[in-house]
Amino acid sequence: MALLEVSDLHVEFDTYGGTVHAVRGVDFRLDEGQTLAIVGESGCGKSVTVQSFTGLIPMPPGRIVRGGATLRGHDILGGGRIDGKEVRGREIGMIFQDPMTSLNPTMTIGDQIAEPLQVHAGMKRRAAHARAVELLEMTRIPEPAKRAEQYPFEFSGGMLQRAMIAMALSCEPSVLIADEPTTALDVTIQAQILDLMVDLQRENGMAIALITHDLGVVARMADEVLVMYAGQVVERGSVDDVFYRSAHPYTLGLKAAMPTNQGEGEQDLQPIDGSPPDLFAPPVGCGYAARCPFAMEACQGQPPPVYGIREAADAYDHESRCWLHHEDCDIAAEGVHKGE
Amino acid sequence: MGRYILRRLVQGVITVWFIATATFFAMHNVPGDPLQSDKAVSAEIRANLEARYGLDKPLMEQYFIYLANMARGDFGISFTQQNREVNDIIAEHFRISAALGILAIAFAALGGILWGALTALYRNRLPDIVIMLLVILGISVPGFVFAGLGQLGVVNLNAALGFTLFPVGGWGTVSHMIVPALVLGLGTMAFLTRLMRSSMLEIANADFLRTARAKGLPANRIFRKHQLRNAILPVVTVLGPSIAAITTGGFVVELVFAIPGLGRYFVQAVQQSDYTVIMGTTVFYGAFLVFMVIVVDIIYGFVDPRVRLE
Repeated sequence: MALLEVSDLHVEFDTYGGTVHAVRGVDFRLDEGQTLAIVGESGCGKSVTVQSFTGLIPMPPGRIVRGGATLRGHDILGGGRIDGKEVRGREIGMIFQDPMTSLNPTMTIGDQIAEPLQVHAGMKRRAAHARAVELLEMTRIPEPAKRAEQYPFEFSGGMLQRAMIAMALSCEPSVLIADEPTTALDVTIQAQILDLMVDLQRENGMAIALITHDLGVVARMADEVLVMYAGQVVERGSVDDVFYRSAHPYTLGLKAAMPTNQGEGEQDLQPIDGSPPDLFAPPVGCGYAARCPFAMEACQGQPPPVYGIREAADAYDHESRCWLHHEDCDIAAEGVHKGE
Repeated sequence: MGRYILRRLVQGVITVWFIATATFFAMHNVPGDPLQSDKAVSAEIRANLEARYGLDKPLMEQYFIYLANMARGDFGISFTQQNREVNDIIAEHFRISAALGILAIAFAALGGILWGALTALYRNRLPDIVIMLLVILGISVPGFVFAGLGQLGVVNLNAALGFTLFPVGGWGTVSHMIVPALVLGLGTMAFLTRLMRSSMLEIANADFLRTARAKGLPANRIFRKHQLRNAILPVVTVLGPSIAAITTGGFVVELVFAIPGLGRYFVQAVQQSDYTVIMGTTVFYGAFLVFMVIVVDIIYGFVDPRVRLE
């Protein structure tokens, strides 16, 4: 049984301009100790996916139209409870994009870390505070006892993200959801935070769902990768499959948009032309058809099904949502891995 | 912290000196003086009186005599009320104004925070619409109208009850204070309600509230510990000026409810050009307000850790 399983998730937002179909049928599963990366450009629905099943999007205007989310087989859709006990903070820890604004400015760091311990573990204030200092030490913050008495404005961005991690892990959750945890940090700090997450995962065996738009972060962290576009998963597979045997044209586009300056692989940035489709009225066919260099007639009118790419070399299925994988399609699409 | 308070106190003394100087020269440039009266006074008597009160000396000399006396805490003797020292007038009547003002500010702050939080929680629903309508009334209707309506309400209430729950006027017990304090605090309460509402709504979308929800905290804990405390900050900021508005604006309410507060002496003194009382009350009010603003700033330091290190 999967640790965390999300199936057929559909999320909409009601706005003055109409209904935004932000997430249109996302499935994924996460096993213990595994790291799943969800990648895609801004607005593709990756944050909404994790924030909706954990109940963090404002409802209304947000709405989970259908779908399911289970943790060890228990239904938790919308951030529910298992055996009457809160899931968030206890079973699922979360960290967010901007640590500068994600902490309460008028509460000490120590108090904020101690809060879940008091609420979920029933610890007394003093004990929870002592544990908070240990947690700060675990995230390698120097002088943790002194730091616990300080307020967020006295911390740097990287330090705040460490404190956020300490807070998210305070109740030893089985899942850590990291929603673009390094986007707001500068590059050297990014590496430190990612290393810290990997080390902590090795120590306590938690699963990580990592949302990012940085393919470098994906390559470094992930076991399995989910590529999202226009509210749908367009390709999934092991990190090797997705990077070296990319099956969806959008994944190819993303890779081409990542410049490198290393040795023979040197490559300029090639942007993907156009912009993502309007999610007020999602296209009937493939969401990527308008920007895809290999688009065919079928792509406009028929939504492509998910094709399994058969020779997946490892434990993760390799799938792609693209008509190019249809058995009758004989277009030679350069770079697209068709399997067999 | 100590240095910060000391610096603020020094700034406060300079402010008060400035108020005293401006008042002194403004007063002397206004036509008329305290020796004018209905009875015609001969030029000789007038000259004698001027010499007695020191009003025949050059203006600058009068100014320095005045400053020297003020520095010793002596505001002199009233020109129009026989044998009353200005210090006595202030000591006797300010206690009353201060008690009324503090109660009014307490009503205004508690009410503003409560109603503001409530309207934000019920945004665009019936309680919000009703309260915000009342707020517009509270801001736009002048205080003397509320004072009159308040008295009318008290009269009807007492008649309906058959005994005197709240006296219609006068001073002495707590029941004398409640209605005038409510009336006096009403405008400020309405203003603070608006401020609190917008501050609550702004914070409702803050990232740290999402973090609090992600931690799985119960809704009432999120509200108390994370939303309310941060939403109150702007309200605390304007409390200083609000205290200014309430203590100096108390005159009308004091008059309607026949409360022997300082406001009445302040206004009377201006009409009679009673130099010493004008100077005394103005400087005293000024010093009081400067002091309250400093107190509010220090309180702010306890509510918001970010200003402590100033």
